[in-house]
Amino acid sequence: MSENTKQNYLNHPKGIMSWLMTLDHKRIGLMYLFSGILFFFLGGLIALVMRFELAAPGNDIISNDVYNNAYTLHGAIMIFLFIIPAIPGALGNILLPLMVGAKDVAFPRLNLASFYIYSFGALFAMYTIINGGVDTGWTFYTPYSTQSTSNVVPMTLGIFIIGFSSILTGLNFIATIHKMRIPGLTWYKLPLFVWALYGTSLVQITATPVLAITMVLLMLERFLGIGIFDPALGGDPVLYQHFFWFYSHPAVYIMILPAFGIISEIIPVHSRKKIWGYKFIAYSTLSIAFIGFLVWGHHMFTSGQSVFSQIVFSFITYFVGIPTGVKIFSWILTMYKGQVSFTPPMMYALSFLFLFTIGGLTGIFLGAVALDIHLHDTYFVVAHFHYVMQGGTIVAFLGGLHHWWPKSFGVMYNQTVANIAALGVFIGFNGTFFPQFLLGLRGMPRRYATYDEQFVELHSYSTFWSGILGISIFIAVMNLFWSFIKKNKVDPGSNPWGGMTLEWTHTSSPPHPHNFEEDPVLQHGPYDYDKVIVEKTYKK
Amino acid sequence: MSGHDPNSPRHLKHYFHDVNQQYETSKFAMWAFILTEVLTFAGLFVAYIVYRSWYPDMFIDAHKLLDVNKGLMNTIVLITSSLTMALAIWAIQKNNRKLSVLMLVATFLFAFVFLGIKYLEYSHKFEVGQLPGEFYSYMGPDAVHLNNPHIFFSIYFIMTGLHGLHVAIGMGLIAWLIYSTYKGNLTSEYYTPMEMIGIFWHLVDLIWIYLFPLFYLIG
Amino acid sequence: MSEHHITPLRTYLIIAATLLFLSGVTVWVSYVDLGALNIVVAMLVATLKASLVAFFFMHLLWDDKKNLTMFLMSLMFFGIFVTITLLDTEFRGDLGLNPETKDPINKRAAFYDTLPLTDTHGHPVDEHSDDHHEDKDHH
Repeated sequence: MSENTKQNYLNHPKGIMSWLMTLDHKRIGLMYLFSGILFFFLGGLIALVMRFELAAPGNDIISNDVYNNAYTLHGAIMIFLFIIPAIPGALGNILLPLMVGAKDVAFPRLNLASFYIYSFGALFAMYTIINGGVDTGWTFYTPYSTQSTSNVVPMTLGIFIIGFSSILTGLNFIATIHKMRIPGLTWYKLPLFVWALYGTSLVQITATPVLAITMVLLMLERFLGIGIFDPALGGDPVLYQHFFWFYSHPAVYIMILPAFGIISEIIPVHSRKKIWGYKFIAYSTLSIAFIGFLVWGHHMFTSGQSVFSQIVFSFITYFVGIPTGVKIFSWILTMYKGQVSFTPPMMYALSFLFLFTIGGLTGIFLGAVALDIHLHDTYFVVAHFHYVMQGGTIVAFLGGLHHWWPKSFGVMYNQTVANIAALGVFIGFNGTFFPQFLLGLRGMPRRYATYDEQFVELHSYSTFWSGILGISIFIAVMNLFWSFIKKNKVDPGSNPWGGMTLEWTHTSSPPHPHNFEEDPVLQHGPYDYDKVIVEKTYKK
Repeated sequence: MSGHDPNSPRHLKHYFHDVNQQYETSKFAMWAFILTEVLTFAGLFVAYIVYRSWYPDMFIDAHKLLDVNKGLMNTIVLITSSLTMALAIWAIQKNNRKLSVLMLVATFLFAFVFLGIKYLEYSHKFEVGQLPGEFYSYMGPDAVHLNNPHIFFSIYFIMTGLHGLHVAIGMGLIAWLIYSTYKGNLTSEYYTPMEMIGIFWHLVDLIWIYLFPLFYLIG
Repeated sequence: MSEHHITPLRTYLIIAATLLFLSGVTVWVSYVDLGALNIVVAMLVATLKASLVAFFFMHLLWDDKKNLTMFLMSLMFFGIFVTITLLDTEFRGDLGLNPETKDPINKRAAFYDTLPLTDTHGHPVDEHSDDHHEDKDHH
C-alpha cells in the first residue's frame, strides 16, 4: 500500500459542503445510513410506547386516537423511511460499486438527488407527526382515508416523493450492475449481494410507479371526489386495495431481498466455505422478485374480492415458498462442514435463519384462504410480518452493519458486547413476538389500544421482552458507534473476516475516495474458499 | 482502459472507461425509466379497463361527448412531432447542426399546438360541466340517461392530464436541447441527451396512440 | 460514437406516413359497426402503430436487446396487473358467495339527483319544457 492509503473517503475531501454535495456513493450511503438509523429509532420508540400501552388492558398511557396515530406512524416510518431505503440506500450504495469494481455508481448525481428527494419526502412525514399524526393505518385504505380529517395528504405526499427516490436508486443500481462491472466479472461471478440488489432494484422500478399513481389517485379522490375508489360515487374501494398491494406486496420483497443478499455474503465468509448452490440462490432471487408480483391479493382475502381470484392468489402464494426454501437450504448446506465462527455478523445470520424460517412458514399459513379468514387482522399477522421484517430484514441489516463496519469505517467494535447484544436481540425478539402468534390464534385483533382480560398474560410477556429487545438493539448500534469514537482502528489493508469479494481484497479500509487505487483485476470468484486461501487478519 | 488520459473527450465522466460504455449506460437507464413511465400509466389503464367493463354503455355514450376531430388533429400533430424529433437526431448524427435545431424547434412548436388543442378541448369541457368527479354537472339530453359519467370524465381528465403534463415536461426538455444544440454542445460525437429526450418524446407519442382510440373512438 | 447506427431518412419518412395512414384507418373503422370487434381492431391498429414508433423512432430494432427486454418487461407487468385485477373485478359474487358484492357500483351517485337538467352547452333548462334545442341558445 502506498502513502496514498492515508487518504480515504471519510477524510478526503474535508468540510461540511464536501459531504452535503458529495457525489461519492460511499458518502451518500453513509448519509442514508444515519438518516435510516434515526428513523429506525423514532419508529422503535413509537413501537415501545404502543407496547407499554398494551402492557395492561384499558387506556393506561395513551388514548385510542393517539394509539391509532401511533401504529400508523410506526408502520409508515419503519417501512417507507427506514426499511425500504435503508439497505439498498445505505449498504447497497456503499458496497455495490466496490463489489463490481467500479469507481462509482452509473449516475452519481442522480444518486445524490435521490438522497435529497428521500429527505424531502421525510420532511413531509415529519410534518405529519408535528401536525397531529395520521390515523388510517399505513395502508391508507379507502373510503376511510378519503374522509379522515387527519394528515392523510402530507403523509401520502411524503410517500409519493420518497417513491421517486426509490425509483431513482433502483434505476441507478440496475444500470450499474449491467454496465459498470469490470471486465471478467461475469454475472455468475458477482457476489450474491449484487444479485439481491439487482432483484430489489427491478422490483423498485417496476412496482413503485404504481404506488405513485395510487397516491395521486387517493389525493384526487380527496380533493375532487373522482369516484374511482369511493363507493358513494359509484367507485370501488377494493380496487384501491388492488392498486395499493400491487406495489406493497412486491415492496415486501424490496425489504427482504437485500437481507437475503447480506446473509448470502455473511454465511460463506464466516463459515470459510464456498457457497452451496450459487446459481440456485441467484435465480431464486429473481424468481421471488417475479412471483412477488402475482400474489398481492392474499392481503385481501376478507375484502370481498371474487372467490375465483382468492383461489388463484392463494395458489400462487405457495410458490413463493419454493425459491425461499431453496435459499434457506442452500445457506444451511453452506455451513455444513464449514469452519463456522461465532462472530457478531454470523450471530445475526444464524438468528436470521431461525427467525425468518418461522416468519416464512407462518406466511404459508396465512396464504391459505380458509385459515386466513380466521387469522386476518389478528396478532398472528402482526407476529408473522414482524418475524419477516424485523427478524428477517432488520436482523440481517444489523448483521450486515457488523460485517462491513470495519470495511466502511476502518474501525473494529467490541465483539463481545456485539455478541451479547445479538443474543439479546434474538431472545428479546422471540419473547416479544412469539406470544403474539398465540394472541392472534386466540382471536386478539390488531390495531386496538385495549383488550380483553384473557389476553393480559401474553400481552405483558410481549411488553416485557420488547423492552429487552429495544435495549439490545440500542446497545448493538451504540457499540458500533462507540468503536468510531474510541478509534479502535484496523489496519487499512486488513481483511478481518477473510472475505473474497473485491471490496475486501482490492481496496483499503476505509476505501480510497475513488474506491480503487488502480483498476482492480479479478483473480478469483466471490466464494472460492476451496481454491484460494484468504487469511483472516483480525484475531480476537 | 482509456478515459484517464487528458485527451479523453470532455463529456466523458471519469468513472466510465470509454464513451461507448457511457452512452450505452445512459440509454439502458433511459429504457429502465421508460419502464417506470409505462407502469405509471399502467395503473390508469387498469382503472380504465375495470370501469369500462363495469360501465360499458356509459363509456360508449360518454365518449360521444368528446370531439373526435380535435383528437385526430392531436394525433396527427403528435406523430408529426415524433417524426421531427427523430429527424433532429438524424441531423445531429450527420453533424448538420442547423437542420437539427430547425427540427427541434418544429417539434417544440408541434408540442405547443398539441397543448393548444388540448386547451380548447378542456375549456369546452369546463364550460359545459363535463368535469371529473363531484364537479361534474352536465345533464344535457345526450347525457341525462348515463350512469355515473363523472367516472368516465375522471379517468379521461387524469389520463390526458398526466399525458399533457408529460408533453409540457417534454417541451421544457426540448427547449433545453434547442439551446445546447444551438450552442454547439451537442455534436455527432456526443448527442446522448438528444437521444434520451427523443426516447422520452416518442413515449409520449406512444401513449397517445393508445389514449386516442380508447377515449375518442370507442365503437 | 460514430459507429452508432444511423437510420436512413427514407425509413423515417415511410414510418411517419404509415403512422398517419393508420391513424386515418382507425378513425374510419370506428364508424363501422363491428360490435365487439371494434375495440379489438382499434387496439390492434394502436399496437401496430406503437410497435412502429418503438422499433424505428425509438431505435429499438438496432439497439442492444437489453433495452427491448426492459420495454417488453414493462408490458408484461402491465399485463399481470390488468389480468389479475380482472380476475377479481369480473368475477365478483361468483359461486353465489357474497352476491351483494356483484354489482355494488351500478348505483348512481347521489349528487346526480340534485343536478338540474342542462342543454348541450351545459346551461340549466326548465324541466317542464320538453324541448332542448341548441338553436335556442346563445351563439
